[in-house]
This record gives sequence, C-alpha cells and structure tokens, in this order.
Amino acid sequence: MEELLQALVQGFLMGSAYGLLALGMGLVYGVSGIVNFSHGDFVSLGMYLCLAIYTALALDPYVSVIFTLPAMTILGALTYRYLIKPIAGRQLLMVIQLTLGVALLLQNGLMMAFGGQPTRVPSMLESKLFIVGDVIMRAPHLVAAGVSFTLAAALYVMLQSTDVGRSIRAVQQEPRAAALMGVDVGRVQVLTFAIGIGILAIAAALLLPGMPIQPNQGLRFTVITLLVFVLGGMTNFVAIMLGGIVIGVAEAIGTIYMTHTTGQLLPYLIFVAIMLFRPQGLVWRS
Amino acid sequence: MLEARGLTAGYDGVAILRDVNLSVGKGEIVGLLGANNAGKSTLINVFSGIVPAMAGQILLEGEDITHVSAPRRVEMGVVQVPEGRLVFPQMTVRENLLLGGFNATARPNRPRELDHVLSLFPRLGERLGQNAGTLSGGEQQMVAIGRGLMAGARVLMLDEPSLGLSPLFVQFIFEIIDKLHAAGMTILLVEQNLSLTLKHADRCYVLERGVVAVEGDAETVRNDPRTRAAYLGM
Repeated sequence: MEELLQALVQGFLMGSAYGLLALGMGLVYGVSGIVNFSHGDFVSLGMYLCLAIYTALALDPYVSVIFTLPAMTILGALTYRYLIKPIAGRQLLMVIQLTLGVALLLQNGLMMAFGGQPTRVPSMLESKLFIVGDVIMRAPHLVAAGVSFTLAAALYVMLQSTDVGRSIRAVQQEPRAAALMGVDVGRVQVLTFAIGIGILAIAAALLLPGMPIQPNQGLRFTVITLLVFVLGGMTNFVAIMLGGIVIGVAEAIGTIYMTHTTGQLLPYLIFVAIMLFRPQGLVWRS
Repeated sequence: MLEARGLTAGYDGVAILRDVNLSVGKGEIVGLLGANNAGKSTLINVFSGIVPAMAGQILLEGEDITHVSAPRRVEMGVVQVPEGRLVFPQMTVRENLLLGGFNATARPNRPRELDHVLSLFPRLGERLGQNAGTLSGGEQQMVAIGRGLMAGARVLMLDEPSLGLSPLFVQFIFEIIDKLHAAGMTILLVEQNLSLTLKHADRCYVLERGVVAVEGDAETVRNDPRTRAAYLGM
C-alpha cells in the first residue's frame, strides 16, 4: 500500500512533465498536421545545452533556461521555416523521413560535441527530498510537476483568450478561412513549431536533475511523447496532460513492482490496452 | 474601387481565367454569375490574393495590388466571405467574430464593429457563447458575413451566400445585402441564383469557362441569349 502510494505520486509528478513534452507535439500537429520524430532529440539538445552552460559558467540547469529557451525557440522557428515548410503538405512519409533525419543529425552532432559517455548535470535541488507521511518526493519532480501544470495552464489561457491564441486555433480548425481573415498561416505554423520546441528547453531542464544523459536517449523521449500525444487524442490539452500522468504512473508502478525489463514494458502494454478500447484516446468527445 | 485588368490566373500553371476584365465601382453591388467551374471562385480568390495572377493586374482604388500579400489585402479592406461559410467550428460565435477583426486595421474598431454586426444579426447576439459548429447553416452564414464585416471590409466579396440555405434564409441574406448596400458597402456577389442576383445587383458579369461572356445591367444580362447558354454550358 505504501509502495503503491509512492508509485502513484512519483508517476503523477513525472507524468506531468511527459504531458508537457506532448503538449508541444500536439500544438504542432494541430496547426501543421505534422508529427515531429526528432522531438525527443530536441529534448536531448536542451539537456546538452544545459551541460555546456554548466561547464562554461557553472550555472544550474534551472537558470540556464534563460539562455536555452530563446535559443531553442529560434532553432525551432528556423527548423520549420527552412527544413519542414518546403515539404509540408507533401507526402506524409516525406515529413516523417525529414524529421527522422533531423533526429539522426542531432543525435550524432551531440555525440561529436560531447562524446558518447553517460554524464550528469548537477543541480541545486537534485538531492533534496520532501517527505509527506510515508511518501517521499524528490524536489526536482515537484518542480517539474508545478512548472508543467503552470505552463500547460498558461498555454491554454493563451490559446483561449488572446488574439495570437485565437489565430492559432483558427488555423487549426479552418486554415483557409483563417487566411481569408488576414491570418498569416505560414507565420502561425512557424510560431507554433517554435513554441513547441521552446517548451522542450524548459522540459529538458525539468527532467535533467538526477538523470544521466546520453546522446542516443532522444528516441526514448520521442516514444514517450508519442504515447502521451496519442493517448491525449493528439490535440486535446487536458487529455494530453492526463495521458502524461497515465504513462508516468505506469512507468513508476512498473519500476517499483516488476523486474527491470517487464517493468519497462508496462507503459506500452497499458498504452496498447487503452488504444484497443478507446482508439480516440482519453478524450470524452471526438 | 476593385478591378481586374486583363487577368489570367489558375492553378499549377493551368489558366482557368483568361483575359478577364471586371470592375466593381464604389458602393455598387456587382453580380458575378456562371455555371459551376466557370471560374467565379477562382476570380475572387485572385482578388483575395490566395491564388496568384499569371498575367494582368488587380487594382484597388487605382492602386496596383497584384503582388500585395493576402493578409495585407485584408488590412486594405478586400475581404472574402468564402463559399461554404467555413466558420471556425470549435470557436464560439463571439470568438469567430473577434477573429474576423484580427487584422491590424480592424483591431482597434472591434467593439464598435461587433455592435454593428449584432444589430444586423440580432440572432447572433443570443448565440455569442455557442460554438459556431453547432449553428444552423443560415446562422453560420450570418457568422461568416459578420466575420467579414468585422475585418473592416470596404469591398465585401460574397461567394455563394445562398448556397444550401432554406428559402427564408436566402431572402434574409439578400435583405442584409441590400442593407449593407444602402449603407454604402461595395459588394461583389458570386451567385448561381440568376434571378435573385439580377434583382439585387446593379450590374452583372457572366463567366463562361473562364471568360467574361456577358456584362451589363440586369436587363442586358437577362435578355442576352449567351447568359442562358453560359448557364446550361452550351
């Protein structure tokens, strides 16, 4: 019972960060109809940028975000504008191949720059613990959950009640009409991709404390993001956050109750089970 | 006010419109008639700047806007209400209207323009918080026209506003068109409904396979045998 509670809490905290990873993917998918298979490698890039900044300036990853956020946002905008846009709207497979190519570039670029050895980036909160009753919570997980939910809420409010947000939703729902109302559809697509990648700079710093990093870890993040993204019905913000929590909890329960290999399988098994019965994901109306 | 001069345009290098000359005077209602695939929608899409001109010019108040971007043209007041209405289904009526006033010119006037739209379509006032996708076809057409007005239209291009509507709504939409006309709006009306358009428009053009077949006032167009030919595709 104690263990279960521990697993639930830890899963919830980590899962909220997974939800954040998938929000960016959902935003981009809704507006441009593309799925970015280099998503997780951008997370890696964000982490290695933190490492570089730590090495050069001894800054904590949480502080490095003031540099990595603008850098990744701009990189996202450039990636969309010069790589994805020229082939967007063509064959689906072409975009998938392109983003897979970007993933390989990032992965091997990181390998060249930082070597293949696993490494860590120290953070001030890394070893702090919060204990409530019998449940132990690691401080970085608490921060990750808090920031993820705050950011998700902020994004939601931005989309619902600002002109920029409305223009993003307009492009999502009826791009032709949006263009006829003076919305620059191309610019909205660049903007959302930039936001989607920018979010990853924040997510990278949230996930980093206590986590060993390796250049080839990107695919793992991409897969987790895809699971959450699909569970969340691709574009529904609330369902995506919920999907993140489902995957986070499955992962935590797998880790605590099962042997290493079967434990790692659990999130995928649960994903498959949910998809069998609810192919539309965790959304309540399609 | 809005003019196409020697316009040739189409998609993927295939010309759909050939050497079209058409003008809409300030405060005029001009009807653009023709069978399906005659090129009517292509023409207003060229005016909107979402289909490029292959040859010829587009002029707004004498100024050449052929190479002006689509969003900029909306700012200049050239606004299209698209065929099939294309409301944003999961946005409320209010959000749809506000998005109409998204462009930089229209944005400061949104509160005033919203009042104006709601006075034209009181029914929308009762449905402000409802998602546009749940409205009836006629109500969606009101949203689409309202959205176009919110954009600060100086030339309103309506693409088949009566399509798929009940006779009562068709009549209502044409009353609105007359009202806007009386208030001085310049209107380019694309329609398949020949008799209603001839009744309401100051002048008409009949397109046939991308070429202007007939032009003139209602009487001229009605009596020209080529009008019927254009419609029947003979």
